Amino acid sequence: MFWKRRPLQSKSEIWMRNLVMGFLIIYMTIFLVIPVIMVIAGSFHQWNPLNQTYNWLGIDNYIRMFSYPTFWQSMINTILFCVVVVTFRVILGLAIAYALNSKMTKHKTFFRTVFYMPTVTPLVAVAYVWMIMYNPQFGLIDKIFGFDINWLYDSKFALPSLMIMTIWKDFGYAVILFLSGLLSLPSDSYESASIDGANAWQTFRYITLPLLKPTMLFVVVTSIISYLQAYVPVLVMTKGGPGTSTYLSSYLVYDQAFKQYNFGYASAISLFILVLTAIFTVISFKFTGKNN
Amino acid sequence: MKHKILKAILFIVLCLAGVVTVLPFVWMVLSSFKTNGEIEALEQTLLPKVPILDNYLNLQENFNFLRYFSNSIMIAVIVTVLVVYTSCICGYVLGKYQFKGKNIIFGFVMMTMMIPWSVTIIPRYTMFMEAGLQDSYLSLILPVMVSGFGIFMMKQNMETIPDELIEAARMDGSNEFQTFHRLILPLCKNGISAIAIFQFLWVWEDYLWPYLMIDSESKQLLAVGLTLFNGRYSTDYGGLFAATTISILPVIIVYVIFQKRFVAGIASGAVKG
Amino acid sequence: MKKLFSLFLAGAMILSLGACQEKNSPGGAQQGVTDTQADKGMAVMGNTVKYDPNHLVNDGQPISIDWWVWASEDMFQGIADMYEEIHPNVTINIINNPWDGFFTKLPLSLQKGEDGPTLFNVHNSYENLIFNYMAPFDIDTQELIADYPSAASHLKDGKIYYADYGLSTGMVYYNKEIWEAEGLTTEDIPTTWDEFIEVAQKLTEFDENGKMIRAGFNYNQYFNAIALGLNYQFGSNLFDTAGTKAQVDGDGMKQAVTLLVDLYEKYHVGDKDFGTNCEQSFYQGQSAMTFVWGHFVNNLKINYPDLEYGNFEIPIPSEDTPYAYYRYNGEATPAINKNASEAQMEVAQDFMRFYFANDNVQVTLCKEGGLIPAKTILMENAELKDTPIVKTVGPHIDRYIWPGAMPSTLETNMKIAGEDILYNGKSMEKALATANDIINVDLANANFTASENLYKYYEE
Repeated sequence: MFWKRRPLQSKSEIWMRNLVMGFLIIYMTIFLVIPVIMVIAGSFHQWNPLNQTYNWLGIDNYIRMFSYPTFWQSMINTILFCVVVVTFRVILGLAIAYALNSKMTKHKTFFRTVFYMPTVTPLVAVAYVWMIMYNPQFGLIDKIFGFDINWLYDSKFALPSLMIMTIWKDFGYAVILFLSGLLSLPSDSYESASIDGANAWQTFRYITLPLLKPTMLFVVVTSIISYLQAYVPVLVMTKGGPGTSTYLSSYLVYDQAFKQYNFGYASAISLFILVLTAIFTVISFKFTGKNN
Repeated sequence: MKHKILKAILFIVLCLAGVVTVLPFVWMVLSSFKTNGEIEALEQTLLPKVPILDNYLNLQENFNFLRYFSNSIMIAVIVTVLVVYTSCICGYVLGKYQFKGKNIIFGFVMMTMMIPWSVTIIPRYTMFMEAGLQDSYLSLILPVMVSGFGIFMMKQNMETIPDELIEAARMDGSNEFQTFHRLILPLCKNGISAIAIFQFLWVWEDYLWPYLMIDSESKQLLAVGLTLFNGRYSTDYGGLFAATTISILPVIIVYVIFQKRFVAGIASGAVKG
Repeated sequence: MKKLFSLFLAGAMILSLGACQEKNSPGGAQQGVTDTQADKGMAVMGNTVKYDPNHLVNDGQPISIDWWVWASEDMFQGIADMYEEIHPNVTINIINNPWDGFFTKLPLSLQKGEDGPTLFNVHNSYENLIFNYMAPFDIDTQELIADYPSAASHLKDGKIYYADYGLSTGMVYYNKEIWEAEGLTTEDIPTTWDEFIEVAQKLTEFDENGKMIRAGFNYNQYFNAIALGLNYQFGSNLFDTAGTKAQVDGDGMKQAVTLLVDLYEKYHVGDKDFGTNCEQSFYQGQSAMTFVWGHFVNNLKINYPDLEYGNFEIPIPSEDTPYAYYRYNGEATPAINKNASEAQMEVAQDFMRFYFANDNVQVTLCKEGGLIPAKTILMENAELKDTPIVKTVGPHIDRYIWPGAMPSTLETNMKIAGEDILYNGKSMEKALATANDIINVDLANANFTASENLYKYYEE
């Protein structure tokens, strides 16, 4: 089609382009580029805005960071949290979406509404409810299942408790995305599969899944990015405890920056999270790419 | 026969999953009618033994729900409208125009999506402090009025609009601004709904930034108001349940009413990525 | 889409209208009236620090200032009311920011200069965070120290930026109803830990499956509060002789922590998983005894006024007088924002003079806050003689140590250590050593010197 490569013509088009792109670039520079530069610079300083300290430290913040056990623990926790929650979100989301998409299911709209409900509620509010649900004396969970577990204070269960809450809160997002992915699949590929005599699992594995690749990538990447930054469950439910066993790296940044006012040190940690996010994103792109 | 059993199993599984999803809400609502003594009793019942309204009646003086709620709605609507607009116009230029450096800019926008809040929050905080914008709504709106996610989604969306349509509008002599506002925007309804929904939710549950920026109680947002309430009355579980219930229920009601739109919007916007 | 938006907008408008009307209701800020009468016909108050109410502040023009507090809103409002009665042109808005996050929000707010709070309550463990924003009191320091001896410890370059209005410490609270139901009388009030354990075991209850249904004693969430200071009973200080390095991994602390852990794990008078918040559990009668500081008196009064409780002093290892019973800390007065406007500053300084000079203010604060008065002359005050804390720890107050304005890192890291020991199965040695290392890194940056060597029996 020749107009695809058509050069800019009218004055108004050039105007529009310059205006919009100019705005975008200036905005991004002010709110993203400059902050990132400030953080990089700040991570080499002892930086406390309360008493106007901004002293050159060299790589001291990084040395301190790498030699601080809580930092490593928070990193391991964050990666664990991210991997588990993303995995469950994808599996649960895909399974339920597949079930909802099946011709055998009735009341689709009703179920769809129900499963998406936790997703539309504010996380802070939900975290409070779950915090009380986990109480060992009168919490709903121990009462229903007859457990005797102090969920949020037992180091074996504290992090998993946060994961369970997050999975519950967010799986609906994946359901809806996969459901719309499934709805938009071409039906002729299924017909040919059933002619070939493929069973249900084979159809799913060799036809549905590859076709869902774009949706999958979208869900995985957006989930990774958001879970590497998770902190609200920790802030509301455990404050990092018991001990330091539920510290997530973003909570550590909050703690160092806005409780102890070590801005420089917090900057160093946050840059590390940025690097981690980049690595994870690249990996998931590579991973889904090869699968095809 | 096999078909029927499968059907039944599927239904039961979905029902179970549904119960698990809804149970915390049910428990929350029911508990909000219990006294503190009953909430914390060692012997628990799901239904309140003696339902009381006190938790709600005592709320209004301690927890200015109406105010927080309207503040939250106002900010969420403003930010959502701005994000939708900036996403559409940037998505349009990036999706429909051909120019040098387009891919670089788009790649750059994509990369910004990876920057975690923890990186930008410290410098942003310093910047807003120095600009004296603390405790103003501007500080909540400015930093989130452009969204990399939104631009990405709208670019995908714009690319599905046939060039012929735009070309036809140009032939009719409308300039680009007119074309965009009169022709393109109405065509992107579904994509717009998707972004609007996501953005609205993000603003709605954002916590840390409003917590740091807003001081005046009368300007505070709902999520922060809830934590302030809990900080002050941490021993009043009944009150907390009531406050949580009225923070959650309106959203659920709005969602249930508009849920068809929600799903259609997400379907058209996100999947094509 | 348009419909959806207009619906949202309409909804938002209706709600904000509702909220606007809200503003005019009594909860909103009231403006003071113009005050023209300088001569109030009132007597001069105060002992050494004097306050003469017979003058105008801010030329009698209406003015309002903000005062940030983290709890006991009503009590501070009462104090503000006393002042407003004398100076009706002044409005003091009490702003309650919860403790959790108080020292995150306060520094932010103070950066707004005169738009920040004019007065703000201080906790001495966060002094280094906000010291930069304080203005010294416009009161002769020698006079202030004469009335409030502990103010001497807050002297900085000959000026005082905040002082203590009361001294607080921890004590045991017991539920009288349960106590009596178990056949215990005041005779049974324990003085040693052995006696305490015996009583606590009586108060503990299990169901037929051996599951705890009532704890005899509960310190959950306050492990750090009770542990820091308990070390004195076993003869060790928290800091080294120079007062700059912590030694929370010392022998005394180890014995103290062992005792606390044993209470749960050996004597089963409580459980780390039973009643995860000891205050809460005490309110519900699910824990018969708990160890909390004086402020709990006010919490009880506000939340559960009908709960009958008694107090006794922290038990000791043997009948012999220990090196010290426990620690105490100063409950700090408000400080003044140094960036306040001239008018705000005048009001705030005048208010603080009133605050120090007026005995009613001090009696209210100490009585409701569960404190021992810092103002010497009030020690014998009739209203304060019978408060739980004065009765409980008064006789031995010279055997309590003030370790200094300990930076918050001590509490924070001892809390982590406690959870590591109780919940994470970490060995005590390791947990305390880790805590000590981190505390000392933080102390090195904090410019802190302990006051333990001021203790009368420090040489023992």
